[in-house]
Amino acid sequence: MSNAELSKILYVEDDPDIQVVAQMALEAVGGFTLRVCSSGHEALKFGADFAPDLILLDVMMPEMDGPTTLVNLRGIPSLAQTPAVFMTAKVMPSDVERYKQLGAVDVIAKPFDPMTLASRIQEIWSARHDG
Amino acid sequence: MTGEPPSMEDKLADLRLQYAVKIHERVRELQKAIKKLEDVDEDARHKVLVDVRDITHKLAGSGATFGFPEVTTVARQMEHACVDYLDGHGLGVIALEQLLIDASNELNTAAQVKPVGQPSQYVPDIPTRFREPEPTLHNSDRKAALFVMEYDEETMSQVQLEMDHFGFDVRIVDHPSKLIEDFRANGPVDVIVTGLVFDNDETTALRALSIFREDEACRDVPVVAYTLADTMALRLGAVRVGVKAYLVKPVDLADLVVVLDHVTLRHEDEPFHVLIIDDDESLAHHTEAVLQSAGMTTKIILDHQNLFAVLDEFSPELILLDLYMPDVSGEEIATIIRQREEYAGIPIVFLSGEADKDKQLSAMELGGDDFLTKPIQASHLISSVRIRAERFRELRSFMLRDSMTGLFNHTTTKQLLENEIARATRSGGQLALAAIDIDHFKGVNDAYGHAVGDRVIKALSRLLRQRLRSADVIGRMGGEEFAAILSDTGLEEVLSVFDQIRKAFSEIVFHTNDKSFSVTISCGVAVYPQFDSATTLSDAADKALYTAKEAGRNCVVKASG
Repeated sequence: MSNAELSKILYVEDDPDIQVVAQMALEAVGGFTLRVCSSGHEALKFGADFAPDLILLDVMMPEMDGPTTLVNLRGIPSLAQTPAVFMTAKVMPSDVERYKQLGAVDVIAKPFDPMTLASRIQEIWSARHDG
Repeated sequence: MTGEPPSMEDKLADLRLQYAVKIHERVRELQKAIKKLEDVDEDARHKVLVDVRDITHKLAGSGATFGFPEVTTVARQMEHACVDYLDGHGLGVIALEQLLIDASNELNTAAQVKPVGQPSQYVPDIPTRFREPEPTLHNSDRKAALFVMEYDEETMSQVQLEMDHFGFDVRIVDHPSKLIEDFRANGPVDVIVTGLVFDNDETTALRALSIFREDEACRDVPVVAYTLADTMALRLGAVRVGVKAYLVKPVDLADLVVVLDHVTLRHEDEPFHVLIIDDDESLAHHTEAVLQSAGMTTKIILDHQNLFAVLDEFSPELILLDLYMPDVSGEEIATIIRQREEYAGIPIVFLSGEADKDKQLSAMELGGDDFLTKPIQASHLISSVRIRAERFRELRSFMLRDSMTGLFNHTTTKQLLENEIARATRSGGQLALAAIDIDHFKGVNDAYGHAVGDRVIKALSRLLRQRLRSADVIGRMGGEEFAAILSDTGLEEVLSVFDQIRKAFSEIVFHTNDKSFSVTISCGVAVYPQFDSATTLSDAADKALYTAKEAGRNCVVKASG
């Protein structure tokens, strides 16, 4: 597991603007394969089939927010252990603690820099596997 | 442009522009919501503030990503103000409202995309309405600004006089070298009319225009050439500086007005309607987001069972079709659409990952107009769609519109009335219908000739266009008879709007040879749902028009009953 390459990312984000730019940042710059979902429901529907290496979730989404989505995704056996990263515009230390308890390996602050998002994700991935 | 794939920077620059456009829309929505804060009860206020909080939260989280760090800062302040209020320890309502309005204005400024390499003091000189047309309201009497470059004094004074009647604000300079100077001093205009030959040099005006075009704010101002000179080289030069129409003198000024209306035409400002048929929801939403960012109106069909209902209701001007769907192919859908007569001409563009040229061609044989291979760059998608939709709109307008005035013809107007009533019935709204007729028109034709009569008709058509909103339907029903359908409009409003139009028209002075005269109109109005079908509504408006004629003309009468 420690030498696994990060390739497939399940990305859950409701804001179409951010979707487009993140998709570009992760596919074109990072070379990752992305499955973009616009809602928690969509992620639950397509998540298992896509079999991601990593799950990237926005926190604040209508209907089902990021943390709830992650809890539900964890209920799918094949996704129970998949590392997850939250993206949020509201980074409070107490929140970060809560997200980590839900099994998130890290939190990325919004707004992010599209030119460095991919390397930030790669860092998080490597840190987890080296450590 | 071919070969080299666009760099990440180019794509980002693209997205950045789209994002900026969206922010302006967002700010408008925000301001609309915020302005209601004071007047509503605590529950409704809570709802509004939750919306504002969520929208600003998103903006705070995205602004700097798109290169607008100021947007993030300002949006975050707004978000915090809402959160504090919702938590019960914030500002009072009035102070909060003020803060939100001020901040939302700052958002607009923060999302200004500054043209690169332009003298910075030039930009603020351009009034904002130029970049962002205000919503046209009834009663707005903003005239279109017309800029004329002409040294011939006779032409100059004739243009000045006539164009004023047709509702243009005219500014004239006698040499192209004064063009940019005048723009800096007096702001932009809606359209430019220019001669080409100055100082015996055919290239003077073209050179001035090409310098003028380098300025961001001047890039899209339509230009009409109006000249005695007609050579292929000149026409080519004109096209290269973005001249939209090339008229060879002598041209009747009334015809010039038709051209000016055409190049500044309002219906071109209406957003294109694009229908997206794709079974992949997230892809469809992505396509939608891209097109909406370019100001288009979109609708998605995931399930093609209700295709025809959506087609009829949405009236798309272009269809984007996925080639492969689970139980049906794009070719089949295209064939089905083409089999309906009224959609035989609509542009259908396939959007698919299919890279095989043969398969693309076979798809096009079965009714596609173009084939776009996914993934496609946002700006390419937008321009492919825009070009085709524009052409379709233009072609369709030949069938739907009256050739002299450019207004809808009789058949189309009747059809649109049915549609508008159906829409009002569904939404529980209201609408008004006005029947308009020029008084003693036969007398005008007899006394001054048909050419002058045509000018009167064009003047009225232009006035109606200018005074009504772009969403209103204006039709020429035949001869000197017109009709207007005003959505979401009640009796009082339609009466006041048409009384102003009546008054404005009666004040227009027409000149012919040595005589001048003016003309009046009569008008009958009726509203839905008082009259609840197309037939009863039309009859009621016609009857009211008849009553207006009986009452001595030059008046507006409401339907009785």
